[in-house]
Parts: sequence; structure tokens; C-alpha cells
Amino acid sequence: MATNAGRRAFLRKAGAGLGGLTLAGPLGLFDAARARAEGAPLTVLNADEGAALDALGETLLPGAAAAGIAHYVDHQLAAAVPLLMLPYLDFPQAPVDFYRQGLAALDTLAGSVHGAAFASLEPDVQAGMVRGLSGANPEGWSGPPGPLFYFVVRNDAVDVVYGTQTGFDTLGVPYMPHILPVTDW
Amino acid sequence: MTTTKVDAVVVGSGAAGSLVAAKLAQAGKSVTILEAGPARTVDDMVSSQLWARRLKWQAEPTTSSGADPLSVGFGSARGTGGSALHHYACWFRLHREDFNTASRFGKGLDWPFTYDDLRPFYDQVQTEVGLSGDADAEIWRPEGEPYPMPPLPIFAQGEVVARGFEKLGLRTAPMPMAINSVEYNGRPACIQDGWCDAGCPIGALGNPLAVYLTQALQAGATLINDAPVARVLANPSGDRVTGVEYHDGQGQLHTIEASVVVLAAYVFEIPRILLNSANGGLANRSGAVGRYMMAHSTCNAYGLFDEETENYLGRTGGQLMCQDDYAKDPARGYVGSFSWLIANALKPNDLLGIANMRPELFGPALETFLRDAARHLATMTFVGESLALPDNRVVLTGEKDHNGVPLATVSHSFGPDAIACWQAGAAQGKAVMEAAGARESWVSGRHQMHTMGGTVMGTDPATSVADGNGAAHDLPNLYFAGSSLFPSTGAVNPTFTISALAAKSAAHMLEAWRSFG
Repeated sequence: MATNAGRRAFLRKAGAGLGGLTLAGPLGLFDAARARAEGAPLTVLNADEGAALDALGETLLPGAAAAGIAHYVDHQLAAAVPLLMLPYLDFPQAPVDFYRQGLAALDTLAGSVHGAAFASLEPDVQAGMVRGLSGANPEGWSGPPGPLFYFVVRNDAVDVVYGTQTGFDTLGVPYMPHILPVTDW
Repeated sequence: MTTTKVDAVVVGSGAAGSLVAAKLAQAGKSVTILEAGPARTVDDMVSSQLWARRLKWQAEPTTSSGADPLSVGFGSARGTGGSALHHYACWFRLHREDFNTASRFGKGLDWPFTYDDLRPFYDQVQTEVGLSGDADAEIWRPEGEPYPMPPLPIFAQGEVVARGFEKLGLRTAPMPMAINSVEYNGRPACIQDGWCDAGCPIGALGNPLAVYLTQALQAGATLINDAPVARVLANPSGDRVTGVEYHDGQGQLHTIEASVVVLAAYVFEIPRILLNSANGGLANRSGAVGRYMMAHSTCNAYGLFDEETENYLGRTGGQLMCQDDYAKDPARGYVGSFSWLIANALKPNDLLGIANMRPELFGPALETFLRDAARHLATMTFVGESLALPDNRVVLTGEKDHNGVPLATVSHSFGPDAIACWQAGAAQGKAVMEAAGARESWVSGRHQMHTMGGTVMGTDPATSVADGNGAAHDLPNLYFAGSSLFPSTGAVNPTFTISALAAKSAAHMLEAWRSFG
């Protein structure tokens, strides 16, 4: 209670000098897990790219597919300012191109080595491909740097599974928000 | 195009720009702050590592290269409050020996003054912002007034790691932070929830919205958002600046005429603006604009312990410090200082989150690690000095942004002293975790943080861009504010020194105002 009172007092004080400032803009409500469960269409990625991303995410972190990693990334790619890990990393490529080229390279490599799209492979084969991707570009890899692609999608998976209050609860970490987000992302 | 006239235009609303704007506005000057990014309020500081990304990057795409590329996206920000809006508030003073490495060791650059010249401004700013700490316990601290607030609390993670330092004969002290341990100037005390990286909406952390930007606006300064500056304008003889040109959100060009121009737009944008302002660059007789880009070398030491570390409690920046290896001693094989930020509050995700502490793990192994580390991990962050090297620099590229302003690129590599310093620190970090009783310990790879340089200050106009007051050598009414002025990095987080320097420059501006015409 004391915290809320303190925040209100501070907001009043700050508001006196910042009255002309406004929120950058409301964000729409979005639930990636529900979007996936209900089969909502992707808006930026195509169905094959979505399937590959779900499978890659699930390989990187169990639960990422059900949590809606493909819908989460797709939703962010449609936003004016994607809240993804990639922009932190100063990689000089548009996020949508980064994901499309990375996912295409993954399926191309899976096809040439294992004769099927990545999403159709057995889990141990998928894990072997991911292991090969994590340290260097595998032979025949044609996308963005393999280790960077691994790192970025791995972080997307962690974001979508553990980056929310629900995810914190799963780990037993108290969320303790000052301002609870109106939606997870 | 519109043209307006003010006493001072401040480019950038971060820690340095906000402080200068506040001091000038409070002295009765008409001040306009041009902020390249969008408006931000305390309501934008949502407690989420995902939402926190809205406070970061969004700069024009400055590319980064070299053996140790500087981080552009993570450490900088466009928007009200700049990168200080999401800074961790670890506020240390530079040490006396950080001001004269060139004179003492023939390496790096000297500052154009000593610690004693900056000390009054450290004291002033720590009172105005409010710092928590224990000056007596900081046996390494240079002279200065004691902190106005008692130290912040230490939790299990801090106690666990401190045990390791003690067993090795090393000392720790509470970290000095611009975070309230008790109510201060009407702002509440920190509630220790570790959301500093997402911005502190209650005002416990002394970011620009909590202190100087609000003061500036209350004193009558005007803030214009989405207003990236393209050029600083100078008179025909080139010995005075007359104002700036900026684009609005629709791409329309505007001019603000001003008696004083203060560039406080961070280390990448300031050289970009200067190099775009005149053939060969404005204020660039020395050729030093964009040069001497620096950063701290860093890594994290980690330990998994049997006991619960409660690593979700506290502050992102940490709980304790150790500076036992701060003294520069070439006998160690390098010139440099290092220090530790101990027991950082952790979240599961994001760049510095728990998951990235073992980036090679994936699948069920990652899940197992996360569940273990969320309860049993302890960490600390290394801060290593890096000496100024002229070839680490920002230059313009042949490409332009959507307003037609040339883009910049930065190249950076650590020198041998910085690398040797980092190696010594990394070895010590692992030893501390082992001594603390970790059942598993490891150290991350070498990274960099806290970018500095680009318009370094010095006594010689032939080799530096600015004088000891932060003014351009050749253009006395053009000032720089921020870490772009630093001739050396020391081994402490820069925001306290950024603020003290800005206070020093603001005081000089007001003293010299009549000469600006």
C-alpha cells in the first residue's frame, strides 16, 4: 500500500512538469498461446515459416510452441517497433528478413541433409541440427549467421515461455511489478 | 521551415542534457530541449523485460564493427530521458588516478583537470539527486561529502558472494546508488523489486524524469520530441555557433537560433552531428571528432549454490562493490583498474537474464538450468578500464537516413592493456565464486558496456575537441555534455561523472554568459 501511495505521489509531482507528455500509443491486446490454439492466421510469416519457427522454438525450449512463439514473433514483426531481442544486437538487417532468411535456411538445410522440412523431423534430429547451428554456420547454411539465429530464436523462446508473470510463477520467481503490463507483450 | 530563437538549445534529454537544461532554465534562460526520440512518461516504465525494450534502441542504424564492437542498441536510447531512463544508477566517483594516465604511464589521455576540480560537482549532484551508500565502508573512495542516505539493503545473494571475497582477503562495501534507501526530496524509497532495467516509475531511482528533466520543465524549459538534430549552425567566420537545424516527425526542417548550443545526444550521435555540420566536421581542427571511442570491458562471474540466493531481490546494478584492484600498477602487466558490481538482481529473460548465462544450453537442459538458477544462482559484473585509442572512432557512411542525414558507423577494439586487465578480472571472478562455495562456477566471455569518447576534453586544442569546461576549443558557445567528453574510462559506471561534468559545464556557461552575445 505504501508503494502505491508513493507512486501516486510521485506521478502527481512529475505530472506537474510533464503534463505535455503522453503515452507513445496504446498497444493492442494479444495472447500468443491463445492465437496459436485457435489457429489464428499469421500476418507476416507464412504457414511454413510459422511451422518451422514453432518447431525450432520447441527444440530450443520445451513449451515454446504451445506458448505461441510463432504467433508472438509474427505479432512483433507486424509492429512498428518490434520488441524482440534482435534490435539489441546491432545486426544490420530488417527483422522480418532476418527471420525469413533464417527459417528458409533451416528448412533448406533440413531438406538437403534429412530429406524433410525441419518441422517434420524427429526431435533428436532437430536437436542435432540446433546443436550444429549454435556454434558455427553448418555446411550448406545460407541464412544469417547460424549462431546469431540460434541465439535470437532461443531468446524468443525464453521470452514467450518465461518472460511473463505466468512464466515467472512457473519458476517460482515473484513478479513484484510496479506497473503490470496490460498484455504480456 | 520555421525559425525560433532561444537562449540555449540542448540536444538530448538524457542525464546530461536534462541537468544542463534544468540549471539554465532555473537561472532564467529560455531553453529548448530537442529530443530525437518519442515522448516517455513514468507510465511507460512497465514492469516487463519485453516492454522495457520500448525504452531502448530506436536510434538510426549506426553500424558497429571491430574486434570488440560497441553496443549501440542495448546501451543507448532515443526518447525522453535517453538511456538514463533505463540506467541502473550505480553512481561511483572516478578516482584521482583516473585523471592522469598519460602523464603517469605514457598511455591513454589525461583529463584537463584533477579530481579536486570535479569534486564539488560530485558533492552538489549527490545532494540534488540523492545517493544511498556508506562512504566510510568504501575505503577506496576519493574525498567527498558522505552520502545523504544510508546504504540500501543487502540480500542473500550479496551475502553469499561477499563470503568469497572475504575468504580471498578482499573487501566489499555497499554499492553507492542513485536509488533512495529512504524517502528523499518527496520521492519514495526503493522496494527492491529488481525492475531498474525497465525504468523506475515510482521515482526511487534518480533518472531524468525523477529529477532534472522535471526540474527543467517546471522552470520553463520546452521539450520537443521526435526532433533529431541534423546540423549545428555556425557564423560565417566559423568562431561561433548560431543554432541548430532539426527535422520534425513529418520530416520538415526547422531552425532554432540560440546563444548557446549544448550537444548532449550520446556518443554516437554527437560526432555524427558534428561531422555533418561542416566540411571536415565542425569543431574538428584537431581531427579528434569521433575518435577515442571507449567502453568498459566486462564479463560476469556466476556461481550456483546449494542455498537459496533470492536473486530476484535488490537492484539490477547490484548490492555490493569491490575496488581492491583499482590501483593502476604496470607491474601487473597492464595499465588499468577494475572493480566488481556484486549481486545483480536477475530476471529470467532478456539479454542479461538468467537464460543467457548459459547460452550453450537448449532443450530440457535449458529448462533444468532455469529452474535451478532462478533459486540458487549468484552473479557479479566486472568493470574494466580501457585506455583511449585514436583508431576507435565514429565516421559517417555513404548512406543516409529518412531525413537525408548521413548515417554513422563505429569501429572499436580493446587494446592489450584492457584485454590483460579483463583476463585478470575474469580469473579473480571465478576464484571468488569458488571461494564462496559455489557447487558450479563459470565466467562469461568478454563484452563491453558504458560507451565513452568521441569529443574528448583536453588542454591541447590540437589533440582534443573540448576544454575543461566542456566547450569546443574553437567555438566557445558550443558545449558538449555526457560521456563523449571522457578522456578515460576509469573502472566505474559513468553516470555520476556525466552528471558532475554537466553541472560543471552549466556553472561555467552561466558565469560566461555575457561573452556569448
